[in-house]
Amino acid sequence: MKDKIFSVLQRVGRSFMLPIAILPVAGLLLGIGSSFTNATTIETYGLTAILGEGTLLHNLLVIMNKVGSAVFDNLPLIFAIGVAIGMAKKEKEVSALSAVIAYFVMNTAINAMLTVTGQILDNGEIADTVLEGTIASVCGIQSLQMGVFGGIIVGLGVAALHNRFYRIQLPNALSFFGGTRFVPIISTIVYMFVGILMFFVWPVVQNGIYALGGLVTGSGYVGTLIFGLIKRALIPFGLHHVFYMPFWQTAVGGTMEVAGQMVQGGQNIFFAQLADSANIAHFSADATRYFSGEFIFMIFGLPGAALAMYHCAKPEKKKAAGGLLLSAALACMATGITEPLEFSFLFVAPALFVVQVVLAGSAYMLAHIMNVAVGLTFSGGFLDFFLFGILQGNEKTSWMRVIPAGIIYFLLYYFIFKFMIRKFNFKTPGREDDDTETKLYTKADVNARRESAGAAGAACADPVSEAITRGLGGKKNISDVDCCATRLRCTVKNAELVNDSVLKATGASGVVHKGNSVQVIYGPNVTVIKSNLEDYLETAPDTLEEPAQTPGDVREEKKTEETQRKVVSTITISSPITGTAADLSTAPDEAFAQKMMGDGVVVTPEDAVVRAPEDGEVAFVFDTKHAIGFVTDSGISLLIHVGIDTVKLNGEGFEALVESGQTVKKGDPMLKLDLDYLKKYAPSVTSPVLCTELEDNQRIRLLKEGPVKAGEALFEVEILQ
Amino acid sequence: MKTFDYTIKDELGIHARPAGLLVKEAKKFASECTITKDGKSKKLTQLMMLMSLGVKQGDTVTISAEGADEDTAIEALKDFFEKNL
Repeated sequence: MKDKIFSVLQRVGRSFMLPIAILPVAGLLLGIGSSFTNATTIETYGLTAILGEGTLLHNLLVIMNKVGSAVFDNLPLIFAIGVAIGMAKKEKEVSALSAVIAYFVMNTAINAMLTVTGQILDNGEIADTVLEGTIASVCGIQSLQMGVFGGIIVGLGVAALHNRFYRIQLPNALSFFGGTRFVPIISTIVYMFVGILMFFVWPVVQNGIYALGGLVTGSGYVGTLIFGLIKRALIPFGLHHVFYMPFWQTAVGGTMEVAGQMVQGGQNIFFAQLADSANIAHFSADATRYFSGEFIFMIFGLPGAALAMYHCAKPEKKKAAGGLLLSAALACMATGITEPLEFSFLFVAPALFVVQVVLAGSAYMLAHIMNVAVGLTFSGGFLDFFLFGILQGNEKTSWMRVIPAGIIYFLLYYFIFKFMIRKFNFKTPGREDDDTETKLYTKADVNARRESAGAAGAACADPVSEAITRGLGGKKNISDVDCCATRLRCTVKNAELVNDSVLKATGASGVVHKGNSVQVIYGPNVTVIKSNLEDYLETAPDTLEEPAQTPGDVREEKKTEETQRKVVSTITISSPITGTAADLSTAPDEAFAQKMMGDGVVVTPEDAVVRAPEDGEVAFVFDTKHAIGFVTDSGISLLIHVGIDTVKLNGEGFEALVESGQTVKKGDPMLKLDLDYLKKYAPSVTSPVLCTELEDNQRIRLLKEGPVKAGEALFEVEILQ
Repeated sequence: MKTFDYTIKDELGIHARPAGLLVKEAKKFASECTITKDGKSKKLTQLMMLMSLGVKQGDTVTISAEGADEDTAIEALKDFFEKNL
C-alpha cells in the first residue's frame, strides 16, 4: 500500500515537471519586464530617454511583463493540462484536450451553483456576504478560487478517466463515440458533477487550508525551518514538488491582498507584488520564506560542499572528480538545480545528506529572519537572484544580506564536509576505491554483446538503452518510463529483476527503489536518455538475447550470476595494521590462499602495532600470541594471523597488549611486533586477516590493494539477498 | 552420542591451519560435533570457538558427535586427529 502511494505520488511529481518547466521563462519575461518598466528603476539609473513611458522599448517590456504574468495567472489551467499529459499512459493528446474541457466545465458548474445560490448576483457581481478572496475570475469565469489545486484535481481525474476509458468499445450504433473520443465526453459529464461537488466541498477544504497555512504562518520562523527541512529531505524521493507546490501556489502558503486582489501562495504573492512593485515598499518576506533561503545554500553553500569534495579527492582522481563537481556546482549556482551535486554524495554518504538537509533547512529560516524577500521562478540560482533580487533593489528585497549569510554557509559547508569526509572516509567523488569490478565487467559485457550482435548481423545501434533495459529487467518488465529534471523514473513489474550495478554502469549516479518504482539518476541529460530508451523500447524484442556463449565466457557468466544477487547491506572492516594489502589468494601459504580458514585479505605489516580493526571484542589471543580472534560489534568473526608459520616461534617476537574477552575500540593497540625478529625467523610476515564464519549469503570484497594504514577501510562483507 | 578422548601429540597444538582443516572435516557431517577441554565445550564447526580453546600439545580433549550420522562422523574425526594432531 505504502509503495503504491509512493508510486502514484512519484508519477504526480514528475507530471508537474512539464508545467514547471515553463516557469523560468515566464519568470524571465516577468522579471525583466517589470524591472525595466519600474518607474523608480528607470529614474534611478537615468534611463528615461530610452525606457521612459511611450518609448518603443518600454512598450516591448510592458508586453513581456504581461506575457509573463499570463503564465502565472493561468497556472491552474496549465497544471490541469500538464498533469493530464503526464499521468496519461498513451494517447496523451486526447487527455490534454479532455483536461481543457473538464477544467472549463468544472468552473462553469461551480459558477452556476454560485449563481443559483445567490452568491454571484444576476449582474455578475459578487454578493457582499461572500468571504473576500474565495471567489475569483478563472479564465473569465467567476468561480471558487481553487488555485493550482483546481488544476491538479482536473489533471489527475481526467488522466484516471482517460487511462480507464481510452480503449472503450461501445455498441455498434454508438461506435463513433468509442475509444479516445469517449474520453472528452465522459470527462465533461464527470466534471459537471465534480463542479457541483466542489461547490459544497471546497469551502470546507478552503477553511482547512487556511488553517494549515495559518499554522505554518503562525509558527513563524520555526514553521519556515520545518518547511525547509521537509522540502530538502524529500529531494531523494523526488516528492518535493508535491510538498512545496501548495506553499508556493495555494492558500497553504498564505494569502495577501496585493493591488486590491486576494493572492494565494508565496510565489504568487511575490509575483503579484512584483507586478505592482511601484506601490510596494518591501516585498513580503512572509511570502518568500518558502524559497528566499535557497539562494544562500544553492549559490554559496553547496558549491562549498563541492569544493570540499574536490579537495578530499585522491590526487590521481582530482581531475576527473573536479570536472564532475565543477559542472554540478555551476548548474547549482546558475540555475539552482541541486540534484547533480546532492546525488554525488547522497548515496555514498547519507550522513552528508543529513548535514545538507539541516543546513539548507536552516537557511530558509535565516532568510526569513533577515527579512530577505528575493523571489524565484523555479529554484534559487544566480539567474533568479539577479532578476528578482539585485535588479529589484536592496530596499525592496534586502538581497545584500544573502551575501554575508552565503559566505558563512559556504564556510560551514566546506569545513563540515571536509571534516566528515576525512573522518569517516566517505567515498565521495574522487575517493572511490579502485574497485571497478562490476563496471569493468559490464563494459566488457557491453562490448562482447556489441560484437556478438555484429556477428549476428543485427548490430545494436543503442547499447546504452539496451543496457538500461537489461538493468531494468528486460523490456517485458518495464511498464512505464518517464523522467524529471535529473532522473529516469520507471515503473517495473517485478522490482527483483532490476540490477543496480548494470544501471550504474550506464552512467547513472544512483538508483532509488521503492516498491515497483525505480528512479535512476543521470543528471540533466536524462531527457535524451529517456527519449533514446523510448525509441529503443519501441523496436526492441521482448526478450533480450543473451550474449552468445562460448567456453571462454564461462567465467564471465559466473560473475554475472554473482553480481545479479543483490547486495542488501555491507559491513566494512578496516585494516588492523599499516602495511601493504593484497588479495588473500596471494598469501604465501597454501592453506590460507585456498581460503581453508576463511575468506579475507592479507596485509604485509610495515608497522609494529596491530590495532583493533573495528569496535569489538577480543575472542581469544592465541597462547603463542601470533593470532587473535576478534568479533566485531557488527557480528563479524575475524582471525588476524600475523605472519606465516609464526606459531612455531612460541610467542617470541610478539607482545600481547590485550587478553581474551576484552572489549576494545577501533584503533586500540592489541599486539606489538618485533618486525626484525619476525622477518628473520618466520617464513613470511604477510598476515592473513580473514572472516572465519561467513554465511552462504555473505561474500568478501577487497576495498584496498597496496599501501594501507591501520584504521582505513580494508574490505567489505557484502550481505546478499 | 558417540565420543572419544584424544591427547594432542602435535607440538604446536590446534593452531590456525589444523583448526581450519578440522572445521572443514566436521562440517561434512549432519551430526553436531563438539570438542571439550577442561570442561569447556565448543562446536567443532566454528573456527573461532575452536581456536579460542587454545589446545596445546599434551592437552586431552573429548570429541563428541551426535546426530544421524554420528557413527561415521566420529570415525572420520578420530582418523583426522590421529593423522593430523
